[in-house]
Amino acid sequence: MEVDASRLVFADPFGMALLAATFHKVREQNGFVRVHHLNAKLSGYLQRMDVFEGVELVGCAPMQGQRHDRADALMEVTRLEQQSDIGNAAYRLTTALVGQMPVMNRDEQPDEMSGYTESDRLAEPIQYALNELLENALTHARRAGYINACVWLSSQYYPSNGLIRVGVVDNGCGFLATLRGHTALHQETHLAAILAALQPRVSCNRDLGLRSDSVNQGVGLTTTRRIAERAGGRLYIASGDAIHSDSASSHLANGAYWQGVAIALECKRQKLPEVRFRDLLPPVEPQLAVRLRFQ
Amino acid sequence: MGLVNTMNIQILLNQHAHGHLVGSRMAAAPLREELEIALAQQGAEVVLDFSGITATQSFVDELVGVLVLRHGPDVLGRIIFKGCSDDVRAIIEFVAADRCDQFIKNHAH
Repeated sequence: MEVDASRLVFADPFGMALLAATFHKVREQNGFVRVHHLNAKLSGYLQRMDVFEGVELVGCAPMQGQRHDRADALMEVTRLEQQSDIGNAAYRLTTALVGQMPVMNRDEQPDEMSGYTESDRLAEPIQYALNELLENALTHARRAGYINACVWLSSQYYPSNGLIRVGVVDNGCGFLATLRGHTALHQETHLAAILAALQPRVSCNRDLGLRSDSVNQGVGLTTTRRIAERAGGRLYIASGDAIHSDSASSHLANGAYWQGVAIALECKRQKLPEVRFRDLLPPVEPQLAVRLRFQ
Repeated sequence: MGLVNTMNIQILLNQHAHGHLVGSRMAAAPLREELEIALAQQGAEVVLDFSGITATQSFVDELVGVLVLRHGPDVLGRIIFKGCSDDVRAIIEFVAADRCDQFIKNHAH
């Protein structure tokens, strides 16, 4: 695959994760990727972010200087293959994001009651959302037989507008294959499948009897969407030939197609501490409430 | 009839947290197995200690929701939820209500 990057001027975490996933797919099929004419600034940045693993750069400036460990400032595009990596990866990414925010006091003492610092309150909604997105990406694909499916994730904080952007891209089966046959899927299209997946309690394996390995309540994606909304942001979701954001739904341009699910989460950093998980869950009917023993 | 000795077994969830969050189903599954083994002992009660942490709905569902689907709502009477924040409490209440309702519907026919 020959890529002319001469007109590429910006890549956000969603774009970087998609690029890395696409290059991986080509290499997996014994293909090669050559990227031509990438401008020097972007070339250095994308190399630093590990977008070009196994890619030949032609006419592009090499990365300048020594590579430093900047785990407290950024997280390179990271590929996950194992479900056991989910918790650690979500934590590392959020730690990197919080580290990017210059106003944060990393030596802040935790609140005596909660044990939380301001950094913790800032990071937790993103960590929560990432856990849910990675869980969905790695479990649904394997159930559908995509045993080698993996996930690429990347993140960036933009101080100029206070936005946090996170990209989570998988090469699994996509929403349509996951939900085919589900009563909530009214049309067998990728767009209908995305919209169905955004409804609470819609999942391929909500019932234990349907698939016996594990279950899923079907609220992870809806909770993630609400986290983004409460923090002044939104989700963009692409799967198959469809792309959806809360302001628009459409098909991908020029017949483009993504085998799997690609999600961009965008939110305002300053609103993250306002997120309360208890306000995001689907309502429980009063008659269904269960007596529990809290101590 | 003699009194049944009640044995309390405590599971500290903060030992399994990344930062302050327990998140993945994979992390919850072995804890659920531990919980099931403990509950298999007659009269045993299990304390799930959430002190200082938050849990995702997926984690709570894999730990508690799956238990309800397998053993029925009565199993909840032998679990004590300790140190829960308002958020964790709401997540546990949601998972318990949702899975109890599902269990009852599944066993109604």
